Amino acid sequence: MAGFLDNFRWPECECIDWSERRNAVASVVAGVLFFTGWWIMIDAAVVYPKPEQLNHAFHTCGVFSTLAFFMINAVSNAQVRGDSYESGCLGRTGARVWLFIGFMLMFGSLIASMWILFGAYVTQNTDVYPGLAVFFQNALIFFSTLIYKFGRTEELWT
Amino acid sequence: MKWSAVCESRSASGITRFAGVCIRERALISLSFGGAIGLMFLMLGCALPIYNQYWPLFVLFFYILSPIPYCIARRLVDDTDAMSNACKELAIFLTTGIVVSAFGLPIVFARAHLIEWGACALVLTGNTVIFATILGFFLVFGSNDDFSWQQW
Repeated sequence: MAGFLDNFRWPECECIDWSERRNAVASVVAGVLFFTGWWIMIDAAVVYPKPEQLNHAFHTCGVFSTLAFFMINAVSNAQVRGDSYESGCLGRTGARVWLFIGFMLMFGSLIASMWILFGAYVTQNTDVYPGLAVFFQNALIFFSTLIYKFGRTEELWT
Repeated sequence: MKWSAVCESRSASGITRFAGVCIRERALISLSFGGAIGLMFLMLGCALPIYNQYWPLFVLFFYILSPIPYCIARRLVDDTDAMSNACKELAIFLTTGIVVSAFGLPIVFARAHLIEWGACALVLTGNTVIFATILGFFLVFGSNDDFSWQQW
């Protein structure tokens, strides 16, 4: 009884070699998440056009998240480790600082979006959808960044 | 006669004909049929008398934009570089974004009451067919090694 699932194996599917397509799948998933986040925000801005319902300053969270996405994915893991042949224009330490600032912007935007959701919508007894839209935009961009950064492998020879 | 000569000179796998017609020619015909069906759905979503709103034609912009990142990435880099992988993955990311945008735009239009939800459903169906056609085009015609712009 204790180990009756130990010998369970998933059914074999040999038609597609997923290990070779890992980078493409990660890129597709990251793209879907990122742009779905933006379209959720566009939808909220269209359905709630008045500034009392969705303050236009709340768009800055999404903008900073996007900026952080591009900052985080601009440096490769090899540059940060110091492994690549050329050191790039910032060097290894510069790459680490860049990545650090990128992650700080990303986490800051995520926390700001949660603050907006709870501070400006949930506690104010108004329609909560715009706050949810800001939160989901930033959460989806955050997960998209993680998948795009860590879901792809940089090895040329697997 | 000329098609068969072209067909046999291009075959790498030995399978060039299906029911007497070159596979690539058959694929071209079915892909263009698919494209026509997709555009038909789009035009139905705009031009039916109960809808009569031409806002969904903006998705044509996304249809035209969608092959561009991948084509640029393929022309710009060669195949055995680490940078080429990053470029191709960025192209796949942007292409996915364009596809998602083409699905999101009709939904936002319907939420803003510019078009009806029935028109939105027709446009989304047309989107699916068109993007499947574009994907099929790239799978069938895009991945041979002697790809050149003078193919036809």
